Amino acid sequence: MPDEPLVEESLQFGDGGRLLGILTLPNLRPPNAQELPMFVFLNAGLLHRVGPHRLYVRLARNLARMGLASLRVDLAGTGDSPPRLGLTNEQSVAADFEEILSVLATYGGSRAIVLAGLCSGADNAIRLTLNERRVVGLVLLDPVCSPDDGFHTRSLVYSYTNPARYIGWLKRRLKGQATQPLGGDEKIDPLTIRDVPSHEELQSAFERIGDRGGRVLSVFTQYALRYYNQAGQLGRVLKIKGYHRFCTELFWPEADHTYPLELHRHRLVKQVKTWADVYHST
Amino acid sequence: MIEAFFFGPCGQQIFATYHPPLGGNGQVLTVICPPFFNEYMRTHLALRELAISLAERGQHVLRFDYRGTGDSFGELREVSLVDWQEDITLAVREGREISGSSRVYLLGVRAASLLACSAVDLSSDVQRVVLWDPVLDGSSYLQSLRDIQMVIADRQLWLSRAERRRVKHEYAGYVLSEAMEKQLVSFDASAYLSVPDGLLRVVSSSTTSFPIQRVPHTVALFNCEWNTAAEELILARPVLERLVECLTNPS
Repeated sequence: MPDEPLVEESLQFGDGGRLLGILTLPNLRPPNAQELPMFVFLNAGLLHRVGPHRLYVRLARNLARMGLASLRVDLAGTGDSPPRLGLTNEQSVAADFEEILSVLATYGGSRAIVLAGLCSGADNAIRLTLNERRVVGLVLLDPVCSPDDGFHTRSLVYSYTNPARYIGWLKRRLKGQATQPLGGDEKIDPLTIRDVPSHEELQSAFERIGDRGGRVLSVFTQYALRYYNQAGQLGRVLKIKGYHRFCTELFWPEADHTYPLELHRHRLVKQVKTWADVYHST
Repeated sequence: MIEAFFFGPCGQQIFATYHPPLGGNGQVLTVICPPFFNEYMRTHLALRELAISLAERGQHVLRFDYRGTGDSFGELREVSLVDWQEDITLAVREGREISGSSRVYLLGVRAASLLACSAVDLSSDVQRVVLWDPVLDGSSYLQSLRDIQMVIADRQLWLSRAERRRVKHEYAGYVLSEAMEKQLVSFDASAYLSVPDGLLRVVSSSTTSFPIQRVPHTVALFNCEWNTAAEELILARPVLERLVECLTNPS
């Protein structure tokens, strides 16, 4: 069980130590530590800094084993960090980020930053990229995306040709739970309960990452099916020159939004490690 | 202001947050033993609120994550309930050192109630044990985690047969060690009988009865949806109010 390759330290920082985060550092500092970016994990919805099914802890520790430092933080109003009263969510997150950059400077100077987040964590990462030049990487789990030209047709075809849907309906029927009509799954549009960035903000964030010579990893799960249903859709709607040069876009409809199954968590961790490994070779 | 820190042996460190008393004489230390697995995530915010309320009423409060959970070190698949019992004992010791208090109250939530009660034997400083919706039978509890896992697995319509077989060995999205499974099965309400008379209090969010008649039992109705695949946070304010009463009432 001993976990020597890394050390963790709790940080209480910002005005009066109001923000709480866990800094994960490789035990042995790589010789090029100053050139490596630091990862910052942003809360997934209201869940505290460990992430759903401890996903952020696992990612942070795996990155540390690769020599990459990270901070998983409770933004104001989540986990152990009290809310900032009188501010909008966007203002509050921006104020938190100032304080995150400030505390990270004491550990890593003005090192580059990779922002990582699931759901609202991805939304915040996108907005924070716009005004901070040090952000050179994004790991976006179920970020927002606009429909492309073929989205609605694919959605329709998908609704009626997906055998999994019929199997699901049949299973519910056999269990006497056929309360939902075929094809009438969850009614809530997931994006309506999120404070998502606009298309322009999303596009600008990607453009700036590209301009900064950075990289983006986007992973869409079955949660995103109401707005994203084909690998490559994000690239098509963003229409950014050189998108495929710096962006990795994955469509995993078999995985659930919060990665409740170990096999999907394992796959995600492996994917992020592969993506992050490039920092060692550049 | 709270104080967050790691303690315990290197490589097996436990993460804790200490809430100092904001008033009163600070004679009591309450150590919060969080529930396990999916319930840990869902109650994190509620238990933080509870800790703040208790600190406002003059108590020292220590919250912690068992090894292999939350921010603590280790992997869940590598720990057992014996490790977690030890974690409670270490947390009590750490809380006592930090607070200087010798009067210790324990709060056990759900299956952690069984562990909290077994910790009473190990620490003579424990003077009160309050349980929130205590699990009465480890075997049924494990089965409910399996049922949740089945619901999760049924939602995944793209799993291959081999993958489906694999995921059936998980519990509400978590992979447990064999030792943990066995120990959970062997847990039953007899753990509550070992607690000396007068120490135990129970707060329930439903009308479920507690098997020991002489134990003071308060019901604060709230639908916690413990045995479902729900992922929403549980902010059971009526329950939290009763818990505060039980943990601060002098008698």
